Amino acid sequence: MATALPAIERGRVAATPVARAGAGRWLVYAGIGVAVIFFLFPVYWMLITSVKPPPEWQTNPPIFLPSRLYFQNFTDALFVYNGVKGLMDSAIVAASSTAIGMVIGTLAAYSIARFRTGGINLSFFILSVLFMPPVAVAIPMFLFWSNLGLVDTYLALVVQYLIFTVPFVTWLMKGFFQDLPVELEESALVNGASRLRALWDVVLPSVRPALVATALFALIFTWNEFTFAVLLSRGRVTTLPFILPTLMESHNILWGDIAAIATIGALPVVIVAFLLQRYLVRGLSFGAIKSS
Amino acid sequence: MAAFLKRKPRLGGRRFALLTVAPATILLVGISIFPLAWALRLSFMQDNLLSIATPRFIGFANYGHLFHDRLFWTSLGVTAVFAISVLTVQLVIGLVIALALDRLPRYQQVLATILLIPSILSPSVVSFQWKQLFDYNNGVLNWALGVLHLPLQGWTASARGALPALVLVDFWEWTPFMVLLMFAGIKSLPRPVFEAARVDGSSGWQVLIFQTLPLLNRVIAIAVILRLIGAFKIFDIIYSLTAGGPGTSTESLAFYTYVQGFRYFDLGYSTAMAFITLILITILARLILGFMERPVGRPAGRTA
Repeated sequence: MATALPAIERGRVAATPVARAGAGRWLVYAGIGVAVIFFLFPVYWMLITSVKPPPEWQTNPPIFLPSRLYFQNFTDALFVYNGVKGLMDSAIVAASSTAIGMVIGTLAAYSIARFRTGGINLSFFILSVLFMPPVAVAIPMFLFWSNLGLVDTYLALVVQYLIFTVPFVTWLMKGFFQDLPVELEESALVNGASRLRALWDVVLPSVRPALVATALFALIFTWNEFTFAVLLSRGRVTTLPFILPTLMESHNILWGDIAAIATIGALPVVIVAFLLQRYLVRGLSFGAIKSS
Repeated sequence: MAAFLKRKPRLGGRRFALLTVAPATILLVGISIFPLAWALRLSFMQDNLLSIATPRFIGFANYGHLFHDRLFWTSLGVTAVFAISVLTVQLVIGLVIALALDRLPRYQQVLATILLIPSILSPSVVSFQWKQLFDYNNGVLNWALGVLHLPLQGWTASARGALPALVLVDFWEWTPFMVLLMFAGIKSLPRPVFEAARVDGSSGWQVLIFQTLPLLNRVIAIAVILRLIGAFKIFDIIYSLTAGGPGTSTESLAFYTYVQGFRYFDLGYSTAMAFITLILITILARLILGFMERPVGRPAGRTA
């Protein structure tokens, strides 16, 4: 940005004519404007459809603003098309997997950050699990769950999502722990606290915002997860991402009702993203790029 | 007493370190290494759940069969199209938008977050949104084409248009993620370098090409690797929007793996394909890392 440069230097910079600099600025505004419209229009269209009365759902020419707000889509979606069940299942699976992943992952992260347990190999192994395509392990895992008679249960999905939450939490929290000065827990240890006590009483409170951010990211990922939800469900455990495609298959698509379910699925994620602004980069690049 | 105090943390430390790392390690071996090993074994077997024949070891036959399977090559081509889109359009547009964001006098962070929305939505929500827009008779896209007196498109329903339509959805869904990473990369650059360059009389383009891009190579490498892995995993929007069709025109590697495993129940063949995918991902990631780690624009010393 044009920080105040001393006069002489400014003179040199102004080699580009002022008029062109002005045009450049308008180009930037126009570009960002186009980008915002392009990337938000489909979201807007879903939102607006979710509150349109049925005759206005999907028409030619399209209706850009509904004649009235029609919230029955939401009640229909929730109570007629199993939206409540979908919400509950998504919430149960996401929350359980996140909770378990947070405990297991945070412990491992602390161990790796402080003691370099397992060296570079363990760290690399944990990270590489994140990048495995779900289809690669889907068949053996499916056989495993069906041998136990557990296909289409909460347990199967919760454990399956640990394949994501545990390495994610470990990797992200490892970075946060490494940023923390060792002196913090050393003084607690000298005062006679056990390792676990030092972790619980001293270390964890000082990374509380990082813990919250990590957990919220894990919640987003598990709430959104699609591939395993589709491969490991047969219609009993139906998370929101599982329900949507099944509703879209019918011949007479109920646009407004599906839009309502999709909106319910999208809203928490968007809210969380705004809460997490500061951590977005670190969380979404799996800590590969540090910034916060 | 003093000796005891000094020793205790260290001894306790070792056991503590192992105990805390154990649950994660055991769990991950259980749900990733073990199934992968099982899949590797399966990939050498003739094992079809639909056939009465007992599974038997057939060596590399599944892998050999892949080379003669036209559909496998088609799926490889489809995956390559997504990968190329990532490496060209998504990368360039992502960088351009990030640079533009960096020039805004205010609201940079908020706009970066707003623009990110497509990348954080569930793929099934994304698919629904585009299903609305792609609708032949009542979709906004065809309405717009009609208004402009352009020929209407079949989008995901047409043999020639389906793959480009999915590439468009992938672009919409993931370019924002590129933007966010690049934007963060730009923000982490040392400002004085640029001001010095500008003072030297370098043009904006010179600064961009000789200063900014080389300094961003690590961020670009990470973004590209994450997205390429995404391209090789692409399954969700295909499943929801085209189911691989029309015909097999939009079957990606991941989708064809799913079709063989979960529709035809040919477990051996499907897992062999999954392994080929894994190998390809590993090779590509290595190549990009190697390419990006070259000491271009780095301070001297590494080259020496």
